[in-house]
Amino acid sequence: MKNQLEDIKKAKENWQETILNKRVQRFNLKKSPTQFYTPTDIESHSFLEKVGFPGEYPFTAGNNPFDFWRAYAEDAAKMGYRPDWGGAGGVGKYGGFGTAEDYRDYLKRMHAMNRKGGPNIAFDLATQCGLDSDSEMAEGEIGRVGVAIDSFQDFQTIYEPYTGDLEIDKVPSNFTINAPAAIIIAMYATLAEKRGIGLTRLKGTPQNDILKEFIARGTYIYPPKESLRLFRDTCAFCAKNMPKLNINSIGGYHIREAGATREQDLAFSMSNGIAYLQAGIDAGLAIDEFAPQFTFNAFGGSMQIYHEIAFQRAARRIWARTVKERFCAKNKRSMLIRQPITAHIGCISTTKQRTINNLPRAVIGGIAAGMSGGIPGAFPPFDEPLGLGHSLEAVQLQLDATRIMIYEAGIADINDPWAGSYFMENLTDEIEAAALKEMDKIEKMGGAIHAIESGYMTRAIAKSAYERQKRIENQEDLVVGVNCFDSENEIDVTINRIVEDTYDPKLMETAEARQKEKLEKLKRTRDNTTVLSLLNTLRDHASDESINLMPDICECVKNDVTLQEICDVFRDVFGEAQPVKLF
Amino acid sequence: MNQERKIRVLIAKPGLDGHERGARVVAYGLRDAGFEVIYTGLRQSPSQICSAAIQEDVDVIGLSILSGAHLSLTNKLIDCLKSQEADDIIVLVGGIIPDEDSKKLKEMGVAGVFTAGTPVSEIAQFIKEKI
Repeated sequence: MKNQLEDIKKAKENWQETILNKRVQRFNLKKSPTQFYTPTDIESHSFLEKVGFPGEYPFTAGNNPFDFWRAYAEDAAKMGYRPDWGGAGGVGKYGGFGTAEDYRDYLKRMHAMNRKGGPNIAFDLATQCGLDSDSEMAEGEIGRVGVAIDSFQDFQTIYEPYTGDLEIDKVPSNFTINAPAAIIIAMYATLAEKRGIGLTRLKGTPQNDILKEFIARGTYIYPPKESLRLFRDTCAFCAKNMPKLNINSIGGYHIREAGATREQDLAFSMSNGIAYLQAGIDAGLAIDEFAPQFTFNAFGGSMQIYHEIAFQRAARRIWARTVKERFCAKNKRSMLIRQPITAHIGCISTTKQRTINNLPRAVIGGIAAGMSGGIPGAFPPFDEPLGLGHSLEAVQLQLDATRIMIYEAGIADINDPWAGSYFMENLTDEIEAAALKEMDKIEKMGGAIHAIESGYMTRAIAKSAYERQKRIENQEDLVVGVNCFDSENEIDVTINRIVEDTYDPKLMETAEARQKEKLEKLKRTRDNTTVLSLLNTLRDHASDESINLMPDICECVKNDVTLQEICDVFRDVFGEAQPVKLF
Repeated sequence: MNQERKIRVLIAKPGLDGHERGARVVAYGLRDAGFEVIYTGLRQSPSQICSAAIQEDVDVIGLSILSGAHLSLTNKLIDCLKSQEADDIIVLVGGIIPDEDSKKLKEMGVAGVFTAGTPVSEIAQFIKEKI
């Protein structure tokens, strides 16, 4: 083997001199625009240590030999199954608008059309920021980007259509909520209790990833450390009472969309993950009691197909090693990056210019996903950059693109097809090493919480976003139709674009007034003595860091204490997060 | 205008929308283009933005809005500026703005609307020409 490598090294030098360099000179270039890899680039590569088999540590080659969807893919094709509509028993389409009543009626309409997935709730910005609909700061935002939830009454209303075959222990619930995640989880638990359904039977996923909100998405309320305490309480509560419910959905993708480089995305989200694991340990749990309930939300996101594939491989390996070696997990499931989609291009890669070009872009993301252990999903629909509301055509083409990749191209028939490639193994090692170096830097700062508090992570990705913008403006990074091939010789291509009138605009207009009216009535008719007493207890317990606040939050929710009333107590006790200074 | 004085720009995020990438990139870009840039950070009400603009004596306010609430938020800011007799401050809007709304914003008194894919250099040039 050693001799063979020596021979290859010599042959490579010879090739560079006699073939490559000559060609570089012939075209008057400073260096070759392409690269070629040989066994010398993965000299110390050990297959079992670095790759292993699909479903085996360190999971580089994938979480499983094949996933659920792949097992029945051909059957699904013959049945004409449309996953975006949400079949019974599965996750429904992400959505939400207006008041709880508006969204409930919308869901009923969807069910009548046989779109029967579990509730996958988008909350409006007021709810996400822990504000009630009557808050001055929330003016104009009620029911806009999601449904407004002020109290348990609202939450219960949304679930009215979910009975019988769609009972809450039969369909999963997804909540895209972070800062007030504890309150929404408490509402879910309260709903189950009222319906006489054991908490152990509940399944679903709250996003509950507050740390990335500070870095990327912006719907934080309290300072990082206090926010993590609330995470700890939800973690312990879910692990002990709701073993089928995922605890969180850790996002790398939001961080990437906000501008992070590939290495920053990987390092920051892994560091956040470590902080969450530590929070579970601090709550007195053993690693395998809660880590199997962690999930992730689509790491990565760029057009660089090779890098995105390597990135997924590196991410799985880093997480598996971290959970096993640092946290001493024994359960395999603790070590997995369980995420609904793997590689993708990221919405940031879509362009408004010549919008249909986003379809081939999304296909490239789908190929990367299919080649790195995920569904080869073409995401997002091509009209993503035109604003909220994908057209029926864009969704149809997105679905068909995915189907073509699965059924016609057979992209998902091979596990980790790049395993053993000199280039891909080298690139995976390189991305892993860069991320580990950055993780080490964060560790030396005192971990993710400190790196967020100091503004390090926020400023780092803001700078990366700006660097990317400069590279686009200087034509160092080329984007078709944006900074090249944009002359008058090119033509725009348009198609009919029918956007389904998903959410009634008239209801959207009046949602704020109706929501406020309901809230005013609730506050007038509920038992306000109990409310005050519960809020006082909550305040006392919030001041004692050793107490798990979930039982108190559940009591509050049950007695119609509003979302903001609970959050305001925490604002008083914990304080509010301060924005990071850019300059 | 005093030639020594740098053009002052307030970049602001009104409402509860937390998508900051555009605002941050424009803030850095305009600063590198020689402007004095102040960034408000997230969750500012139109009246807070108006006060900050007057207090900081800025020439330009750049609003970044991706939540779809651009019409009402911009309208409120412009009303506030008028009531404070500060409507000589140029208002720009950036974000996900449908073409038909772009027209409405301009009728409201917005000097320029910049959507995704706009080079920061173009925004810088636009401001220099306006002042």
